[in-house]
Amino acid sequence: MSDAVRPGVVRAAALAHKPAFWVILALLAAGGLRIAQITWRFLDAYPIATLTAVVLFALLAVPFWLFVSELDFLEREPASLRVLAFAWGGLVATTVSIPASTALDNLIAKLGSPALAADWGAALAGPTVEETVKTLGVVAIVLIARAQVNSVLDGVVYGALVGLGFQIVEDVVFAIGAVAQAGQGDQVQPVVTTLLVRGFLAGVWSHTLFGALAGAGIGYLVVNPDRTRRHRIGMAALALFGAWASHVLWNSPFFRDGLGNGALALLAVLLFKGLPPLLLTLYLVRRAHDAEAAYYVAKLATLRDPSLITPDELRVLGSGSRRAAARRHAGARAGRRARVAVRRLQRAQARLAVDLSRAPAQAHETEAASEVRAHRSRLESLGHPEAVEGVRSWRHTVSTAGTTAVAIAVIWVALSALGGG
Amino acid sequence: MGRVTRSQHTDLPGTLALPLALVIVLVLAGLTFGLPLLDRAVPAQRAVPAGESYEVGAGVTIVPPPGATLDVTGTRPGGTQGTALFQLSTRPDESPVRYAIAVQPFDGDLTAAAVRLRQRITGTSGHRLTGTQLAVSTAGGLAGVQGGYTAGGRGGRYAVFVAHGLTIEVTVSGDDRELARTLAAIDASTRTLRHEGRR
Repeated sequence: MSDAVRPGVVRAAALAHKPAFWVILALLAAGGLRIAQITWRFLDAYPIATLTAVVLFALLAVPFWLFVSELDFLEREPASLRVLAFAWGGLVATTVSIPASTALDNLIAKLGSPALAADWGAALAGPTVEETVKTLGVVAIVLIARAQVNSVLDGVVYGALVGLGFQIVEDVVFAIGAVAQAGQGDQVQPVVTTLLVRGFLAGVWSHTLFGALAGAGIGYLVVNPDRTRRHRIGMAALALFGAWASHVLWNSPFFRDGLGNGALALLAVLLFKGLPPLLLTLYLVRRAHDAEAAYYVAKLATLRDPSLITPDELRVLGSGSRRAAARRHAGARAGRRARVAVRRLQRAQARLAVDLSRAPAQAHETEAASEVRAHRSRLESLGHPEAVEGVRSWRHTVSTAGTTAVAIAVIWVALSALGGG
Repeated sequence: MGRVTRSQHTDLPGTLALPLALVIVLVLAGLTFGLPLLDRAVPAQRAVPAGESYEVGAGVTIVPPPGATLDVTGTRPGGTQGTALFQLSTRPDESPVRYAIAVQPFDGDLTAAAVRLRQRITGTSGHRLTGTQLAVSTAGGLAGVQGGYTAGGRGGRYAVFVAHGLTIEVTVSGDDRELARTLAAIDASTRTLRHEGRR
């Protein structure tokens, strides 16, 4: 989508001086109050089910959070802004979407027909309201911390986290709705079913994905000032449309009754509805990641200082799989401490790259440069001085195959249980 | 990368942060309050032909009471499930009685369906069951049970039927006096519930 990377720096204290920050904070507080009210009502009616839902979906959020946070290894977004993005999705976007989506669904029934609303209400009302509100969360981050949106990938990360926050709170609401609908009192079984359906089966291609797509558009809008405003807004609108269309397809009545019974039929429906946006987003993330990696690696290459980064480490740092391979290689060759040290070295090198892009002249004297040298000497003392890849080990191949088999088995069990196969 | 362009100098988010944040507030307020206001401004009631059966969903039909209107906000027909919401009023100054029918797949028996519906009713704040549960049947041969509940100053009736892998839940609620005036017509309507097979 874009090759642009525009590094900047945001000071936490400066945020407090921005009136826009307080406006966004007020919105978060209002959303938090509303969600607290809803949660309190749930706790009053179904305490065990509510606590179970909150804990299970919070646990489900952890791997998503870690994965999304790691997407931008080279220039990690500040934790405060990641939390803000998540909170916007979970508190503001949900608070707005509950009454607005219901109203839009009703309007579809009134201006069209109840049958139209039954078939297309969820497909049109939900995406229209939810994608708009979630995207505004990324815009809000741009308004208060413009310097932290430096690349399309940053937009992807913030958008995905807004989507994740929305998804988790929405899942809890749906779980308690299922408990109420079941009419069997304070039971956890409907919560577990909701976790299987909305967490495991629908979780991969749900709000996190749609949010990432729309966030990529906002990232492009912000980091390409050399393009015309019309072009940038057009690209952002196209990305938002992509998120909306993906959501519409997911909620659409197509194959609502499935392609027959059994796990394979359910899998086919999931793939038909979820795979196109997943592949599109993965492609965008890959391009944005590679563009950003190329930019920062080029910055580090100008140092020509092997104590900070060697030519082989430059090749490794730009790729997530190579970074992981270098850590594994260190672990296999010099033990767990070397593995940890390589990870720390890579992190420090990434921070150094960001420092370099902001103030090239002082890069050699920054804190990150000192950290790199400290981790380098630690690695030297462990007998593994360079963070490079090794030969792919059979142990890693077996481990990857085993993990994949377990994941497929879990999905298959869930599909079989739900698909009647 | 190093060139600073004119559009960079006039960085839109940086210079217009507060006005744009206020625009966000306006958009959110429009969605949160404006859309529901618009929804309320558009009438939800539709006339239903007197004496004709209405398909609720999954092949289940009912003949609405004379004078009832269909509330489209609570009506969602479907092939495997569905809901219909009718409103019935004998006097314009009284709030109408709500007469809702919900059909959904169900693999239990009538007792389980009744327990489920009763728990849902009592699970709603301020709602409690009254009287005893009685057997009820429809002209189409559906067998079910019915009972009553109260919610503050309002009264309510429920009935539940199980047939063909479906549960058909009927709930009626309204002001006590208006409910008393319309209940005979609603009971007569409930007895017209029929399963006509999947369409």
